[in-house]
Amino acid sequence: MPTEPFQSNPLRDGLNLRSIPDPCSLIIFGASGDLTHRKLVPALYNLAADGALPQAISVVGFARRDKTSEVFRKELGEAVRKFSRQAVNDELWENFSNSITYHRSEFDNPEGYVSLARHLEELDAARGTRGNRLFYLAVAPDQFEVILENLRKSGLNTAAPGSWARVIVEKPFGTDLPSARRLNDLVESAFDESQTYRIDHYLGKETAQNIMVMRFANAIFEAMWNSRYIDHVQITASEPLGVEGRAGYYDKSGALRDMVQNHLLQLLCLTAMEPPAGLDADSIRDEKVKVLRSLRPLAGDEVFRHVVRAQYGAGAVNGKRVAAYRDELNVNPESNTETFVALEVNVDNWRWAGVPFFIRVGKRLPKGGTEIAVQFKSVPPVLFRATGETVDDNVLVIRIQPDEGISLRMCAKMPGSSLRIEPVKMDFHYGTSFGKATPEAYERLLLDAMSGDATLFARRDEVEEAWKFIDLIHEAWRTRSNDLAIYSAGSWGPSEADELIKRHEATWRRL
Amino acid sequence: MEKAVTFDPSGLGLPVEIGLIDKELGKLWESSDDTKTRASLINFVIHTGDPGSLKADTEIISTIAAKHACRAILIFSNPSAPAPAAQAWINAHCHQTGKGERQLCSEQITFRLDGESANALPNIVFSHLDTDLPLCLWWQGDLPEPLDETLWSWVDRLIYDSAKWSRPVHQLHLVRHLTVGSGKGTVLCDLNWTRLQPWRYALASLFDHSAAFPKLNQIDSINVELGNGSRISAMLLLGWFASQLNWTAANSGESQSLFRGRQGEGRPLDEFLSPDNRKISFAITESQNQERNAVLIRCGDSEFELSHAANAEFFEARIHIPETIDSRQILPFPRRNTTDTLLAELSRAGRHPLYTKSLEKILPLLRR
Repeated sequence: MPTEPFQSNPLRDGLNLRSIPDPCSLIIFGASGDLTHRKLVPALYNLAADGALPQAISVVGFARRDKTSEVFRKELGEAVRKFSRQAVNDELWENFSNSITYHRSEFDNPEGYVSLARHLEELDAARGTRGNRLFYLAVAPDQFEVILENLRKSGLNTAAPGSWARVIVEKPFGTDLPSARRLNDLVESAFDESQTYRIDHYLGKETAQNIMVMRFANAIFEAMWNSRYIDHVQITASEPLGVEGRAGYYDKSGALRDMVQNHLLQLLCLTAMEPPAGLDADSIRDEKVKVLRSLRPLAGDEVFRHVVRAQYGAGAVNGKRVAAYRDELNVNPESNTETFVALEVNVDNWRWAGVPFFIRVGKRLPKGGTEIAVQFKSVPPVLFRATGETVDDNVLVIRIQPDEGISLRMCAKMPGSSLRIEPVKMDFHYGTSFGKATPEAYERLLLDAMSGDATLFARRDEVEEAWKFIDLIHEAWRTRSNDLAIYSAGSWGPSEADELIKRHEATWRRL
Repeated sequence: MEKAVTFDPSGLGLPVEIGLIDKELGKLWESSDDTKTRASLINFVIHTGDPGSLKADTEIISTIAAKHACRAILIFSNPSAPAPAAQAWINAHCHQTGKGERQLCSEQITFRLDGESANALPNIVFSHLDTDLPLCLWWQGDLPEPLDETLWSWVDRLIYDSAKWSRPVHQLHLVRHLTVGSGKGTVLCDLNWTRLQPWRYALASLFDHSAAFPKLNQIDSINVELGNGSRISAMLLLGWFASQLNWTAANSGESQSLFRGRQGEGRPLDEFLSPDNRKISFAITESQNQERNAVLIRCGDSEFELSHAANAEFFEARIHIPETIDSRQILPFPRRNTTDTLLAELSRAGRHPLYTKSLEKILPLLRR
């Protein structure tokens, strides 16, 4: 009986717990940029060093600067040595860097794309990359149009039968709903939704991925994951840093667009969503979209009741004096851009009715960290009232970064003849519990895009629903400017934020 | 005649009465300062019949505990001792976590079981497991016979090293029995298979090229050249090829002689049959000097070779497909000692379905 010819490499089957990506060419637009040097190529090197990449891979840097492949590889080698999470082995880098080439062209020069297509065909023959192409747009959004249009015109957006073409788009996905729609239309003109991978690196973090496992693989949590048992949820992303050279972008964006629209609403979705029908990308993303659609819109005066925006003034962080935001380099001295925002958000569905989600994000706060804290309701004030003891509520904390892990606060009796109740914490740390290093988010996301798994990437409707919610807040802010509070750098934000949560008889957690 | 046993309890910690182990462990923690936290995520049990390995095993436990907080139990079993006796020691391994002063500590209990006491292993030892935590048992040396049904039904992960067995063919059949008997919930973890993982990855990568993987249908022969005493490793690799490519054992019986003391000489030893009934011959050469290990796959005029020189950090991969590819590359070769291999195994959740399938492919060639 003649055997069927293999369509792929059967020796790869079952070899990894996850699938090894298909052989492919990764074409990075904006190859001279910071993202390529600090994140993308170090991530690729680490994947190669861990044996997670197929041998048949090629990386093509596409950028405007004039340089040879040899110079490009040398630059990347220096970057990898600086930014790789594991020590760089010279021979291994040498071997991996052989897969890297540089393609110089202006983004708007159609000839550059024709020659890119030829170069990719040569690489297919030489390296066995099978006509699979992954385009990474590591450029500012104003470059997307010209790149996507040229990819389409050159036919690089379509793959030969049996091969694939995909595109990875970096945030920001627009600056408001109309611009996001324009951007999405633009991407869609060249690549359909199934070929499009919108990166939100928060979703590549282990703990973010663990939220679903914790919720749906542990019966004890899911049974209590509703308004009957949960009082409120706090989602915090704080950082001690200022704008650090991103002033040009940040002053136009602000904390709401930069962090809330994407990262923090994604964390909210993972916390609040219903169990998906399956673990495939669309089943999960369907559930996340339902959460976004259930967000109670904040518009007009409601914004000023439920949202606090603030900007840092001068102060001290980690014992060092730091300037006010308006005094930072390249920031408009009269800027009203928020560097801190606190929101009370309601998810109007059966599960979450009456449970506020408090979101807080800020720069120049005392400590860096991102976490989700699920605050459970108090026990009935009956049994221990007579003893005069305070019974702290249970809190489940999911730490996204740093020190990824989960902790549960509960009450315990202190040893002794009297009844004294103290809070104790059960703490699970990824770092000490699992004997392997947590990979960088970009490593996971690059692997997923090469493998065609879009679970950890944002879908068009997710992005647009999030913008709908955020745009209403911005519209209200445009009508006033006197609501911008100022907080001292190194503090936990303005008193208005404390007031916001106090109305719910709660306080912000101390990270 | 009774086997001479040199047993050195130094380094095993505080001697304790078996009935007082829990109490003495409690005292150990009461007397420690506030910076130490006891932690345990698994029960990690090592069983050895070699008293000389206790020091090395304790060092392994200490390293493992830094990555996998555990209740560690080290058992030295000496059933040939004339008088029954059971002794125990307790110890703790503390490791600093993060940048602070906090230390996470794992407990180690060591047992010496002499004579008939060795038979009471499930009763004496397993009553000291941390409740509700998975049990990973590393059984050094040959598995005991008859297999104790109670013992195996408690084990979540059974770790062994088929490269160290004195009667590998017999032991592999015993292992297979476990997969269908009372221990069928037990995950089998052969350190020999784990050590071969880099080889499997690298061999698979030889066939990633679009011109290479179609050649997998045309394999004529596989020659495996490994160090002395690595016959079972070579067979596991061949079993892996057979299971991935759906080959069956031609079963001429020649390969049985491999395990009857004869050295392989590199000549075709036995055959697999491909789904289209083509014969695929294989040969195993055991090199005496262990200077170089290699796998050579021939498919007509094409050759795929993966080799590793002793102490090298890389594999050398060579692909020759006439008029298409003629390439040499290096691939990462993670050097692993026994502790590293154990850590790799403990960090890997889930079963080893490829191992079970590979065993099924080679067992017909290895009749007892």
